[in-house]
Amino acid sequence: MNTIVILIIAAAALFLGYGVYARSIDRGIVEPDAKKACPAKMYMDGVDFMPASRNVLFGYQFKSIAALGPITGPIAAVAWGWLPALVWIILGTFFIGWVQDYGAMIMGVRRDGDTLGALSYKLISPRARSILMLFLYFYLLLIMGSFGNLVGKNLMARPVVPFGMIAVTLAGILAGQMTYKWKKDIILTSVVTVVLSFVGIYLSTLPAISSIFTNLYGGAKSPVLFLSVTRAQFIGTLLVLLFCYLGSVLPIWSWAQPVNFVSFFIIALGMLGGVLGMLIWHPSMGDFPAFTTWTIGTGPLWPMLFVTIACGAISGWHSLVSTSGTARQLECETDALPVGGGAMFLEMVLAVISLLTATAAMGGLAGYQEVLKSGAALGVFAEGLARFLEKIGIPKTFGVAYGSVFLTIMGLTIMQLAVRFMRVASAELLGDKVPVMKNVHVGTIVALILTAIFVWVIPWLTIWTAFGGANQLMAGLALLLIALWLKSEGRKNAWALYPSYFMLVTTFAALILLAMNQFKAMGVAKTTEARTAALLVGVIAVVLLAAAAFLIFDGIKALGKKQPAKKTT
Amino acid sequence: MRLPSPDLCQRHEEAGNCSVFGEECGWGQTSVVWRDRIARARRVAGEIFYGATVYDWVRGLRRQRGEVEHLFVLITFGDLIGLPVLPPYYTLRLLPYVVPQINRWKRSLLRERDWTDLAELIEGVD
Repeated sequence: MNTIVILIIAAAALFLGYGVYARSIDRGIVEPDAKKACPAKMYMDGVDFMPASRNVLFGYQFKSIAALGPITGPIAAVAWGWLPALVWIILGTFFIGWVQDYGAMIMGVRRDGDTLGALSYKLISPRARSILMLFLYFYLLLIMGSFGNLVGKNLMARPVVPFGMIAVTLAGILAGQMTYKWKKDIILTSVVTVVLSFVGIYLSTLPAISSIFTNLYGGAKSPVLFLSVTRAQFIGTLLVLLFCYLGSVLPIWSWAQPVNFVSFFIIALGMLGGVLGMLIWHPSMGDFPAFTTWTIGTGPLWPMLFVTIACGAISGWHSLVSTSGTARQLECETDALPVGGGAMFLEMVLAVISLLTATAAMGGLAGYQEVLKSGAALGVFAEGLARFLEKIGIPKTFGVAYGSVFLTIMGLTIMQLAVRFMRVASAELLGDKVPVMKNVHVGTIVALILTAIFVWVIPWLTIWTAFGGANQLMAGLALLLIALWLKSEGRKNAWALYPSYFMLVTTFAALILLAMNQFKAMGVAKTTEARTAALLVGVIAVVLLAAAAFLIFDGIKALGKKQPAKKTT
Repeated sequence: MRLPSPDLCQRHEEAGNCSVFGEECGWGQTSVVWRDRIARARRVAGEIFYGATVYDWVRGLRRQRGEVEHLFVLITFGDLIGLPVLPPYYTLRLLPYVVPQINRWKRSLLRERDWTDLAELIEGVD
């Protein structure tokens, strides 16, 4: 099948899903009222509650939900064949993904801007909030582990990447200085820093520069230092941890924000170039099979595919962003659909493009497997993007370096903020009993040590599956919460309740399977490293399952108790 | 609808005010409609771009300013929530400047918070 046909199918799904299904639920069931005052206006405090135009919020919401997830998941999932991955991305978004993002947002608006924590406390049970917090910490730890693995152990271990990455970071710091200290115009700042970033990425491809890192890494074939970690992977991971440390302890205006700002241009231009190249080239799927086999290394298609592709079809994290961030900024209720639903459907398109990058751009299954072997999922994307960029005249060597830096920065910008969050969370959680945890450096270092263990010990695909499981479980719980809220308002809730059941059953099955596989692997593991990895992931899967069981029990009890109330709109 | 060529229609850019075809000047109307559409599309694209790039910075700055303002009100009018810091004499001198902020400060300060409030700070996490 040709890539253009697949893009047309995605566009048709977007039109039908957003224009017909989502709109009919919005108008027929939720009935938003444009004249009703939203929390952003009622409680405007200039900080959290502040009205913004729906177009601005659409950009903000999309940027907040789209990162490495919609790129990495489809690339890993095409191992089952491109068709199951494509079907799940499209149907998952169509029936579940937008429901969660939009539902959480409108629920937040109607419940005075309450966050998911407060809502679970009020709608499910008091202990639901504490369990959600536990979820959140593990979720972030898994993000750090999986992204750290992808970025530190794979991308940064390539000699052409670190210099480009350092150049983008320095450009980001310069952007912060130009804006905050020198009060320069934002357009000038953007142009200077983006050009400098591109020059840095170009320089990183020159043999004189890349050879510095090749020598530092101990030659073309980097020697193993400890466990199965090579010197290149060790140094790459240390660079990532240093970046995250600075992102966590420095003022947000001087590091995290400006680096994110410059990164946006690198990412947006890369995506634009990739799409243009794809449209010009429009390759067919070649010999890439629509369906390979029912069971692959990570497990059977059901339930594992549904946790491998999380973001891009549905992701629990979106419900947190939708309630705590966007719902408090909506000008009117009618903006919830274009912002929440619209951003999710656009993310679906991003996931489809990523899928095409892994399949069509690789020229078939053999190409995909070859690149996957050398550099995990992100290597596939960098290579695929470079091939698309080549069609618009960008040399492949630059394209590969650009694609790798693009993905590295995408991962790092998130990781630095996740460490920041973990530092605050551990200070809140343990600060009273262990006062030293309130120290920003100690909290950060503890989070980074945990990250390093996850990165160096656990194989990438295993940790990615656990991350997907945690994410999808949170999505199931968010949907259950939306169904509870709809019932409390006396509205039909089947459109949220059935997706919630599907997500909970599927994710439960996936986590049980993951835990069983890990405990089984522990028994046959020959090295301490493999045993530790299996034990860690197995225990995390069990903890997540136990936490989810309590939440579901309380949720279903609450669902039985709640009496339909009069509609509030 | 007649569509005059630009050389015939001297004022085709103003809908309904064409020197040749008067109110029936379809060319002019179409032109205005498209000009409006393009202007709207540019505005929408600009706002989306702003939302995805600078808006986050603006929010960060707003947050910093808000925190400093809240701290100021806490120091001066902490007794409103049982935390007297400044003697009432100085508080009364400052009252006119602080009055507009008091309501939202109280609401913001007393609002229950948990970790999920911080979640929005980690953009693009998955």
